[in-house]
Amino acid sequence: MSDYIGHGGKPIVERVLEKDKAKDAIQGLTQVPVRRQIAHEAISLSYGFFTPLEGFMTWEDVNTVCTEMRLSDGTVWSIPILFDMKAEKLKELEIKEGDSILLTYMDAPLAIMDVEEIYDCDKLTVCQAVYGTTETKHPGVRRTMECEDKFLAGKITLVNEPKFNEPYKSFWKTPKQHIDAKKEKGWEHMVAHQTRNVPHTGHEWLMKGAWFAANEDLMVDELRTGVLVNCIIGEKRVGDYIDEAILLAHNKLNEAGYFRPDVHMVTFTLWDMRYAGPREAIFHAALRTNLGCTHHMFGRDHAGVGDYYDTYAAHHLLKQVKDDLRIKPVFVLEWWYCPVCAEVTCSALCGHTKERQKFSGTLIRSIIMDGVKPTRLILRPEVFDTVMECAEKYGFGSPFVTEKYLAERQPIFTLEKMEVGKA
Amino acid sequence: MAADIGINIWINEERYEKLKEAGLADMAEEVLAGMKRIQIKCTEEQKDEILKKYPSAKFDASTTRTIELLPRDVKDKIFEIAIAKKSTGPEVIEEFLKG
Ligand SMILES: [Zn+2]
Repeated sequence: MSDYIGHGGKPIVERVLEKDKAKDAIQGLTQVPVRRQIAHEAISLSYGFFTPLEGFMTWEDVNTVCTEMRLSDGTVWSIPILFDMKAEKLKELEIKEGDSILLTYMDAPLAIMDVEEIYDCDKLTVCQAVYGTTETKHPGVRRTMECEDKFLAGKITLVNEPKFNEPYKSFWKTPKQHIDAKKEKGWEHMVAHQTRNVPHTGHEWLMKGAWFAANEDLMVDELRTGVLVNCIIGEKRVGDYIDEAILLAHNKLNEAGYFRPDVHMVTFTLWDMRYAGPREAIFHAALRTNLGCTHHMFGRDHAGVGDYYDTYAAHHLLKQVKDDLRIKPVFVLEWWYCPVCAEVTCSALCGHTKERQKFSGTLIRSIIMDGVKPTRLILRPEVFDTVMECAEKYGFGSPFVTEKYLAERQPIFTLEKMEVGKA
Repeated sequence: MAADIGINIWINEERYEKLKEAGLADMAEEVLAGMKRIQIKCTEEQKDEILKKYPSAKFDASTTRTIELLPRDVKDKIFEIAIAKKSTGPEVIEEFLKG
């Protein structure tokens, strides 16, 4: 059996054309410039991050994802992967079912799409099913409602592999490369940590706790369990940590010895968070299965927003479909600092509920913003220094996203220019 | 009007020295693993004015009821006024907004 088996027990398929073949294949195709989200998802589809999907979804798949949380072939799937286009644009470019089109991004060819189906889709129905609400103050609803009125389905083939810029380059791995890296490290178990944050010690201990849970009954004479910190790199909002700081700060945890390098690895996935709470948790489970993970950490209100989802809704949904997942959830507790225990501890162990001091991302951000170095019990000094270095190097002086960063940040990757003949 | 909205000023050694000199060291409270802060209080009205003046700042209405992400020089100024007035009340922000 192949080593590369992903979500649903399906093989991980890479749909990537070699340079020479790609040059020929794109000649004469209708060019369709796409926005960042679609480009990122086309890249993810091509490398198999969304296995078993090999392209943007058909109406039938979207329909069953909404009604049954499954693809039409029965595989558990929670979030529609949609490619939208204006009806006028379709008409203008004369795109019809059966065509192959060339998706372009940053003025360069990116991927070929074999248009299998062009369909209408009721966005409100999708929102209600996926997010449990149609309120546009929910960021996922807003994203879906902003879609154009027509949707295209079909397989995607990458014709121009992205060249990642540093620091992204050091952390980029395709699903197959993730699985290879896991094998090289001799890990039998790999537990995923989902993050868009710079790690404070609360995160650090949460990951450490998850290591023990994921190690299960494996012998410890040789370590065979690793933590995969898989950062989500996607849409940024003012006030978020800059992407470079997230990657480098997490990696600093092993460079500075808070994690042994042989039990810790940092990578990233291109994905725009939908904040779909429980449904996003199911998506994360599928995604990390495709990266070779055997376990996945899920915290309170995983991938939620506002008060749309119950604290443990994601945990319950994961439990419901556990027989259809190839990844075990590790339900993580809330970690806090307790001045009585004089350590970072967690809600299941420390009984000093009155004295405990909760970690708050907001508080820590406000400390960093003041230029005050947090104590090492909150944020490791090496992590703090890394964050401040990133601020200078990548953030125009700020470790948090600013308007300037949004407009002028260095690109995550570049695409080589390629000649494309006219249709 | 109740002044129940906070602006956290985190205390490093330099700020702590200034607090001590002004005899205000007691105002610093420990909130997280040895991190000290003073919290300047402001009213709903003052909050709105601050957010208008500094659009990058955010008000965390749900959990902490604090104004976050104010630029560092703004915090420095507010801190100086608090020292001068020996207070953490809304008159600090009143003075700040006048300046
Ligand atoms: Zn305790």
